[in-house]
Amino acid sequence: MQTVKMVISGAVNAGKTEFIRSISEIEVVSTERRATDDTRMIKKETTVAMDFGRIAIGPDLVLHLFGTPGQKRFDFMWEILSEGMLGLVILVDSTRPETFRETNRIIDFFISYRDTAYVIAANKQDRPNAWSPEELRLALRQPPHIKVLPCVASDRESVKNVLLELLYVIQERSEE
Amino acid sequence: MALVGNIRDFGLSDFLYLVDRGDKTGGLYLSRGQETALLFFERGKLVMAVRRPEDQQPDLLVRLGLLSENQLARARASLAARGNGATLTEVILAENLAPREQLQGALQSFSEEAVYGLFGWPEGEFRFEQNQRPDPAAPTIPSPISVDHLIMEGSRRIDEMGRIKDRIPSTDLVVRFLDQPGVRIKGIKLSTEEWRVIARINGRDTLAEIAQKTNLKEFDVCRIVYGFLTAGLVEVVKKPVPMPLARGVPAETSRVKRSLVNRIINRIKGM
Repeated sequence: MQTVKMVISGAVNAGKTEFIRSISEIEVVSTERRATDDTRMIKKETTVAMDFGRIAIGPDLVLHLFGTPGQKRFDFMWEILSEGMLGLVILVDSTRPETFRETNRIIDFFISYRDTAYVIAANKQDRPNAWSPEELRLALRQPPHIKVLPCVASDRESVKNVLLELLYVIQERSEE
Repeated sequence: MALVGNIRDFGLSDFLYLVDRGDKTGGLYLSRGQETALLFFERGKLVMAVRRPEDQQPDLLVRLGLLSENQLARARASLAARGNGATLTEVILAENLAPREQLQGALQSFSEEAVYGLFGWPEGEFRFEQNQRPDPAAPTIPSPISVDHLIMEGSRRIDEMGRIKDRIPSTDLVVRFLDQPGVRIKGIKLSTEEWRVIARINGRDTLAEIAQKTNLKEFDVCRIVYGFLTAGLVEVVKKPVPMPLARGVPAETSRVKRSLVNRIINRIKGM
């Protein structure tokens, strides 16, 4: 059985758990605990280890989805999770500009040493005052060739679209 | 839809960059305690900036010595007669009530000073109302001004390393020009120190090396490069090292088989 891995990352409360939950075929294995730091201001429970989802591609192939912990103090986990990944989705809460700097730090972490295929998902586009994907591209200083996609992590079709767009990026870089 | 936030988290320079590169039109409302400011942009350029609500009124032109009371009354009457679409500034120019250069110079200086003062705000709520325009009778700048040099001037006034460190976490980073920086640099006036730094940017030297070669303090080089960075002229990157091989990390996506990717695509499409 071959397994391939995609990583879903982003700042605290960007919507990583919900994103994986929307598409995973199994109940998402999540090690959520009561937050003990300032993330409590944002949500009562936040991810402190990781989320894990799974999609069976065929009898011999499985896609695993890993959500990274959002807090800075767990960034040592990011490197472990990113080893051998096929691609990366960076989720951004489009309604909270105070998380954009942290999002940039996460992007920088993942792409600085690896030639990683990634897309940015502008989550919470259904909320009032959400920054548009193009505004997020400028705010995050992303070059035009990086896809910044509209996303609502609770909507399965929206999550599918983000994953497909990432797969098209990977497809372009793959070999025959 | 409005863009809201706090300049503590998303700085004014970052916002001006977004307005410039996004060709935004709208009104930016800022507030900090009792202080307020209002900036209007038209297709990415600044048309008006005021720190007090009364400065949006046409009598600012009288207070700045650009028009007499009688001239202003005449301009307002003409504006009312013209109806929709015209602005007070257009009327003043059309009726030769004030020379264009004088109007441009005075209103530009007034607006620039209003913006520069905002760079000293460590925090403040902002709300950007897209496609909102100033009142037709507001004293707008005849030729809207590029925000590039506002960003540069604003960065000259930043003296806190904390904000600079957000974008330049280390002096071991290499500075390099973005594509066609010369085109953007044309509109920007650089100080002697800035020229010394820009002349040393070669895509190989780190900030620390540039400081050494220019005999400037590392902080000053960081501050200057922060300005270039915020204006979108340069980028800072880690010095290239063969890390993936040294650390034994394969570039996974470069050797993945297309057939495998196609299988995943088909599966997700069918979900």
